[in-house]
Amino acid sequence: MCKEFMLGNEAIARGAAEAGVRVVAGYPGTPATEIVDLCGGYPGVYAEWSANEKHAFEVATASSLTNQRSMAVMKHNGTNAAADFLMHVNFTGIRAGMVLVTADDPGGLSSQCEEDTRILVHNYAHLPMFDPSSVQEAYEMTKAAFELSEKTEVVFALRPVMRVNHAGGLVEHGELGAESRPAEFVIDRKRFVMSAVVEKESGGELRPKMRHRWLNAKQAELRAVMEASPFNSVEKAPGETGFIGCGIGYAFLKEAERIHGAKLPILKLSTLPLPEGKVLDFVRGLKRVVVFEEVEPVVENIIKQLCFEHKIVLEVLGRSGYLPKEGELSANLVLTAVEAALAGKPYPAPPQGQYVPARTRTQCSGCSHRGLLVALKEVVRGNGGVVTGDIGCHDAGTFEPMNLQATIYCMGSSIPMAYGIKKAGFDKPVYALIGDSTFFHNGLTGLASAIYNGADITVVIAYNSTTAMTGFQPHPGSANNLNQPVAPIEPGAVAAAMGAKVFRCNPYNVEETARVIAEATAETGVKVVVAEALCYLKFGREGRISYTPRQVAVDVAVCNGCGLCVRTFGCPAITLSDGKAVIEPSACNGCGVCVSVCKRGAIK
Amino acid sequence: MKFDLVIAGVGGQGNILASQVVAKCAMDAGYNVVNTETKGAAQRGGSVLSHVRIADGEIFSPLVPAGQADVLLGFEPLEALRYIGLLSKKGTFIINTAPVPTILANLKVDEYPSTEQIVAVIREKGLAGHFLNATRAAKELGNVLLTNVVMLGAFTAVSNILPPDVVLKKLLTMVDEKFHADDSRAFAVGRGLIGKEG
Repeated sequence: MCKEFMLGNEAIARGAAEAGVRVVAGYPGTPATEIVDLCGGYPGVYAEWSANEKHAFEVATASSLTNQRSMAVMKHNGTNAAADFLMHVNFTGIRAGMVLVTADDPGGLSSQCEEDTRILVHNYAHLPMFDPSSVQEAYEMTKAAFELSEKTEVVFALRPVMRVNHAGGLVEHGELGAESRPAEFVIDRKRFVMSAVVEKESGGELRPKMRHRWLNAKQAELRAVMEASPFNSVEKAPGETGFIGCGIGYAFLKEAERIHGAKLPILKLSTLPLPEGKVLDFVRGLKRVVVFEEVEPVVENIIKQLCFEHKIVLEVLGRSGYLPKEGELSANLVLTAVEAALAGKPYPAPPQGQYVPARTRTQCSGCSHRGLLVALKEVVRGNGGVVTGDIGCHDAGTFEPMNLQATIYCMGSSIPMAYGIKKAGFDKPVYALIGDSTFFHNGLTGLASAIYNGADITVVIAYNSTTAMTGFQPHPGSANNLNQPVAPIEPGAVAAAMGAKVFRCNPYNVEETARVIAEATAETGVKVVVAEALCYLKFGREGRISYTPRQVAVDVAVCNGCGLCVRTFGCPAITLSDGKAVIEPSACNGCGVCVSVCKRGAIK
Repeated sequence: MKFDLVIAGVGGQGNILASQVVAKCAMDAGYNVVNTETKGAAQRGGSVLSHVRIADGEIFSPLVPAGQADVLLGFEPLEALRYIGLLSKKGTFIINTAPVPTILANLKVDEYPSTEQIVAVIREKGLAGHFLNATRAAKELGNVLLTNVVMLGAFTAVSNILPPDVVLKKLLTMVDEKFHADDSRAFAVGRGLIGKEG
């Protein structure tokens, strides 16, 4: 045993490595991102960035069927992308231990939505899940999940929330050195060919129904596993009101108990299915329980159902209405709820906070996306067009001062959204703005769909050779994969092969970019503009940037303080002071794009 | 023993490095430590909040609960104001008074409060602490990026949880050798600012 300070994501990678994981596949998505890179650092582990989460899940499952322990890593939105495969692997089961890490982001602190993957993975796909309450537990649960998955032949999911992925703490861990095993693929078509075929031995039943029966029968075994699990436990104390902490909800509950100052009856629930025996033992004799879970009332509803079935009269409070239905829990929220519940009172409405000016996201100073956004905006403002947006650093172009993209949904939506607007009869130009990583993730099929359906749109690909938003992970358009050099797949070449008319421009040159976008707009059909420049922040560290750095300064004699540079450009290095633009030298990275933005020529 | 520190700032100010120095020193001293950061696209100018929780027993929540922080280091005045509610009534703040304007304030969509307004709001809460201009001090030392080291030095002057020389030594192990002389000076300047300003 060894004690080390680790991030939650480091602890998960460590647990997987100790459990003998051999194949790890994922797509970058905060808060889970670091796990794939970290796994790749362990000897004998093959780790990869897949083009999207569905493919990562498929690669990991195939490895499990080949007798190698495997892990698929993604965030909650990514699990939606993988849902199609998820709804089949639950029926087939797996062979070697396999873990799905699906990290949730309560509060949507770095996401487009907040959602609870327990509903998709457990309630819908009926797979077992672990919900860690601490970094230590994330490590232990990862190891346990591999063992139990292999024993039950079912994928186990680990569902850390952001506060576990990105918390650091001391972790007591074991040794590496799991034995390697032969890579054997045993063909078993009855299990791994999911087709509507008739099974003779089950009286002519269709295979999907038979495998569904298998999955349902598994639940009893999984419940027994969770009943015996050390991750669920009871802390006794007198009182008629009990408190249930799930995952990080337990950590906040313990903190609230400390501040409250008196011992509370607490049930820690960290698994799905729930240990029904433990739950029933805990609630018998209580008048009410409050369930603290992130984010939906999943456990709360199961407990209500359980009490109904066992004819137990119990008030079950939680996320269905007693606590706020949206957003993260916190120790303070839990403390407030504990004290209100003990007094038999409703959860009090939080006091209205005082507004403190927000810090909205923007592109870094020196980022090529800012030039691209300015150029695209110039064209669109001229022709009354609409821009549909996608996920990536450029999506900050939707906010002040750019106010450019009109829609942002999920990975790859920009292209079908764009041509949908045209098909609805909109007669002005429509542009889809998408990043390179997202293009490979789920943009390719959208582009094929657009071309196949005879769309008339302009797709703008912001090609900066990295997935910058999550911390610079590579993708098929990058020249490396987990630090191994590879030949990049160039988005423009792919688009051309699909039949799109392809244009290219350098986004650091606003004039050229606007001209090329305008030229592409004038053509009919699906046009693709590839705006190519290396991500300044990533490649600048390696001494590779796509512009010649220059010192820029405001000529105060020429500047009339019109504020165009601030109002339309929004570079964080430029502010207005005493009626003149000021460029803060320590914040400026010398890209020089602002020079062309100032119509008076005051920036030199 | 329980000690909670929060550091509020803006992406790029070296907030996370400062929190890691404190966390590592506390670990070396044999304490249990849990930390986390709350950051919204920090590289792109967002707000960054680091939590460092130190105790000689178990620590549950990685987040410092409201009203529980022993020290709040505000690397930027607006961010300090945003998170001042985390500070305990018995706690101490150290707030750098040099503002980093927000984009919306530049656009006149929001109004960035004046330093006087921020100071007044915080003083009104009856909290104790120090206002100082760490950014100016860092600039005078020749590099605005030394702001976090000035603040770290100031921290060791208000809290005796970790010996100053240990904190400085740990910091130096985490940065390139060519910065050691500047960092040592900035650290000393930060210690000196407590009592002198605010």
